[in-house]
Amino acid sequence: MKRYVFLLIAIVLAAIYLFPLYWMYVTALKSGSDIFRYPPAFWPAHPRLQLAQVFATYQVDRYVWNSFVVALGATFITVLLGTGAAYVLANVRHPIVTVALFAILMLQVLPPSLMVTPLFVAFNQLGLLEWPRFAVVLATAAKTLPFYIVLCRATFTQIPGELRDAALVDGNSRIGAFLHIVLPLARNGILVVSTLVFLQSFGEYVYSRSMIATKELQTATVGLSSFLGANSNDWVGLMTYASIYVTPILIVFVLLQRHIVSGLTAGALK
Amino acid sequence: MKIMKIFNALRDGNGFESALVIAPVVYLVAFSAFPLIYNVVMSFQHVDMFSIATLNRPFVGLVNYIDVFSRPETPGVLWNTVIFVILSIVFQLSIGFALALFFQNDFPGASYLRGLFLAGWVMPALVVGAIWKWIFAGDFGVLNWVVRSLHIVNAPVFWISDPAVALYSIIIANIWLGIPFNMILLSVGLAGIPGDVYEAAALDGAGPFQRFRTITLPLMGSTLGAVIALGAIFTLQQFDLVAALTQGGPANASNVAQYWSWQLSFETYEISDGSVIATLMLTVVALVALIYVRSVQREQRL
Repeated sequence: MKRYVFLLIAIVLAAIYLFPLYWMYVTALKSGSDIFRYPPAFWPAHPRLQLAQVFATYQVDRYVWNSFVVALGATFITVLLGTGAAYVLANVRHPIVTVALFAILMLQVLPPSLMVTPLFVAFNQLGLLEWPRFAVVLATAAKTLPFYIVLCRATFTQIPGELRDAALVDGNSRIGAFLHIVLPLARNGILVVSTLVFLQSFGEYVYSRSMIATKELQTATVGLSSFLGANSNDWVGLMTYASIYVTPILIVFVLLQRHIVSGLTAGALK
Repeated sequence: MKIMKIFNALRDGNGFESALVIAPVVYLVAFSAFPLIYNVVMSFQHVDMFSIATLNRPFVGLVNYIDVFSRPETPGVLWNTVIFVILSIVFQLSIGFALALFFQNDFPGASYLRGLFLAGWVMPALVVGAIWKWIFAGDFGVLNWVVRSLHIVNAPVFWISDPAVALYSIIIANIWLGIPFNMILLSVGLAGIPGDVYEAAALDGAGPFQRFRTITLPLMGSTLGAVIALGAIFTLQQFDLVAALTQGGPANASNVAQYWSWQLSFETYEISDGSVIATLMLTVVALVALIYVRSVQREQRL
């Protein structure tokens, strides 16, 4: 009996916490006049989605596409450069490895809003701002790479070193042992951490806001923030925009929830 | 011959491992460490719209630092930053800890429901800011309806536009954003405490509060240290919520250093002053990170 009382309390707590997400979706379903009602309605009288209108007014598809491109690029660089390093940092015991790990943990915490000034000035001097989305990808990957290495390293430490040693004894080269034995075993962990990196860069804001001047290339966060200033009374439209943008994120989250929780906790404290 | 040797070392020697580490290190030096140093350099130079593209910029010593500290808005912004960090940590930690303790109980769906809280963590912070801006809306916002129905206030609170309240609105949104991460990390720490310690204490007649004070808190010491340091780091990184909610306004009433630094560089093009703030803040972040990294390394050795 007591267990079900706890369950009930837990559901209430989760509902209170997740109310902002509920409020986003409910507002998206309301009509323009519904939102100016007091007291506010917790369920719209005539729920309807104004998808076509929002796509036309706010070009959500273009903005989300740009976010997708940036996220894909940053994830690609991160996984390409980070996986091997995570593997070595998990397996090799050497003073240099300790120093590298220390440096990576320190680089993980640099706030983008403070790094963006020097990055912008340097990219400007190098002419990289000609390709603004690429510039954002480079900057974002520098932020996600340490995070990825730390979490991915935790995955590799769970794979017994004996398996790799056995592969070496069997005549594999070191590359072979890494590619054919260790990587397949670590595949799930790598996928989860890459997904986290993708989600993080999909919601990136500071670098995109500062480096992308062309409206056509701006990302979904930058679009939303500009509409927040200009159309801040069209809450139905803005919440519909937000729903279109974050629903894929939330779907991925629900599908991978269990893995995300364990992947995250393994890296942050161990 | 020599090329073959290098190739073999890369394929099947220490060279392979070195190459795997060197590639990301080069990348991070180029896009993380170099900007860090460049930032410090610029804080000692005169940089504006016109000299931004050249390398030949005059060094001006501490002029920028003096300039920043003689600005009238500086004390307010720095004080806001302190309040922002302290209040965020206190509430994220206490609410997160309470939730972690609650979800320690054994009931159906406990771990699933606990995991649901991380939905807040995967959301882009800017979108979270947008949603909260709508919740905070003055006349038709749902939060004003709640606080008025509960008779906490009689007139609507202007969460965003009232200079006395704006900073606290950002803090509320930031606490919401930080709760899941605190809760999950603290849950991991709690799960590491062996259950028989509690049973023994209960047999000795220790009440729940006593057990919390004499067992849970001391054994959670290093976890708490790491979580507090991480909370400070995430709060000092928080930019998107400020951008979505108040843009530091009205009249800098809710501005914090990390947002102000960006405004100086990208809105008024006072890049030197922006770099000064960034340099000072990065120093603070590095010091906090040192505490975090040390506590993580200490945990590893145990």
